[in-house]
Amino acid sequence: MIDAAVLPTGFEPLEVFVDKWALATSFERSRERETSSLAQMREFYDAFAPYLNDALAYLDRKGLAEFTPADERLMALCLSLAHVTLAVEVQGEAEAQNALLRHEMRITRSTAERAA
Amino acid sequence: MNVEAAKFRPVSNEQVAVLGTQPIPVGPYHDPDYFALEREAVFKRAWLHIGHVSELPEPGSFIVRKVEAARASILIVRGKDDVIRAFYNVCTHRGTELVAQSDGLASAFSCRYHMWTFNDHGELRGAPDFERFFLDKADCGLSKVAVDVAAGLIFINLTPDPEQTLSEFLSPLETQLEQLPCATATTFAEYLYEIDANWKLVYDNFQENYHLRFIHPRSVGTTATGPENPFGYATGFDFVGLHRKQALWMNPEHQPGPVQVSALERLVNDAMFGGYEELLANSEYFAVFPNFFMLNSPILPFSHTVFPIGPEKSRGVIRFYWRGEDDSATQRFAREYAVAATRDVHAEDRGVIEAGQRGISSGAIQHIHFQAQEALCRHFINSVDATVQAYKAEKSLGGFGA
Repeated sequence: MIDAAVLPTGFEPLEVFVDKWALATSFERSRERETSSLAQMREFYDAFAPYLNDALAYLDRKGLAEFTPADERLMALCLSLAHVTLAVEVQGEAEAQNALLRHEMRITRSTAERAA
Repeated sequence: MNVEAAKFRPVSNEQVAVLGTQPIPVGPYHDPDYFALEREAVFKRAWLHIGHVSELPEPGSFIVRKVEAARASILIVRGKDDVIRAFYNVCTHRGTELVAQSDGLASAFSCRYHMWTFNDHGELRGAPDFERFFLDKADCGLSKVAVDVAAGLIFINLTPDPEQTLSEFLSPLETQLEQLPCATATTFAEYLYEIDANWKLVYDNFQENYHLRFIHPRSVGTTATGPENPFGYATGFDFVGLHRKQALWMNPEHQPGPVQVSALERLVNDAMFGGYEELLANSEYFAVFPNFFMLNSPILPFSHTVFPIGPEKSRGVIRFYWRGEDDSATQRFAREYAVAATRDVHAEDRGVIEAGQRGISSGAIQHIHFQAQEALCRHFINSVDATVQAYKAEKSLGGFGA
């Protein structure tokens, strides 16, 4: 029952973030950042950032066309971290105020949603 | 590189004084009458950026784009012969908008009202019960719109016979634009915004760095400001006819965070691999008249077009041009980051621009002011106003007749 795994082997500690952060589109990821507290994002960042380079290396070896559902979820977590890192590494305490401003900037197309 | 060579030197007040030093009247930034003149003088005459060749990937590909400033909907088609043509998206029977979709693949376009059907050359090929009209089909083709491509970017011109070709209009910037990622891009990412502000007020925000440290203390922060250049002023301006450029200063001491580094390393590697080593070292921002920007950066290869909707309403469209769809997880992550990071900056701008419009529209002040480091804003209003005044002069001469 390999397909039943939520995330690929080795990334099990990150499963708790899948429901919130493994989202299908760039638009949804940007919206999730807007509606999350800085504390929620720090929690995700602190847990996931140490795994990022390993996760990308694993997914690079797989190749985008060969992803299982578990791989797709791991990829989506990496992509959410691309947004969340801006809140944690850059905006900090200004995040809440700037989230209001970002709401009007709608992501309408992303290469992450296109076939490789 | 020695320390002496890297030292920042701003453009001097004297270098830009030629553009004038007077306060700028606020009328052009909110007056509906001025906007009406701009529709005719600027947006129905200048070459306008409208799309990218990757939106028309194969024969039969089409896009439909609104140009509110000209009250027009434009149909752009790649024909079976691979030639890109543009037409007003208007059925020649009784003027109904022809195509409702925003893009797609088609060999013919049928008006839903009475089923007049046009081919990829805009010719009327079929119309039910046509014998009852008093017309030749050959006289019923779609109204043509001039269209051309430079650096992969599609431009249209709503003058029936444009005075200048696109190359003449862009000269000498075209050869520089051809070196940028957009020229060979095959795909793009996009975000957009609507804003309650005049298109020039929106555009001006992106032509000056004076506001960076106040509006973007974190999102721009030390990437483009630093102790030797606290305002992040440009290292040079270039005024090229109606167009203009600025060379951007980047702070070599900037230290991104660890996850940012993971994304940036991949973006830099892709830029080097793509042959953009030279562009990496020289950051330039192109402002193409009237409403188009292009950053030359191969790391953040975005354009920004400000479409006027009304005297106090505009739409901004930002596009990131990439060569090839994502080839790997790391590239996908890096591109997601590039878009998200730039969006943060633009979001901060949007809020303060609307505040500027409210103040101007209140009538509280009659003039605004541009300092020397806002010279691109001054060159821009000079360019727009010269175009508007030339149009007015032409119309008033025409009115009296010869």
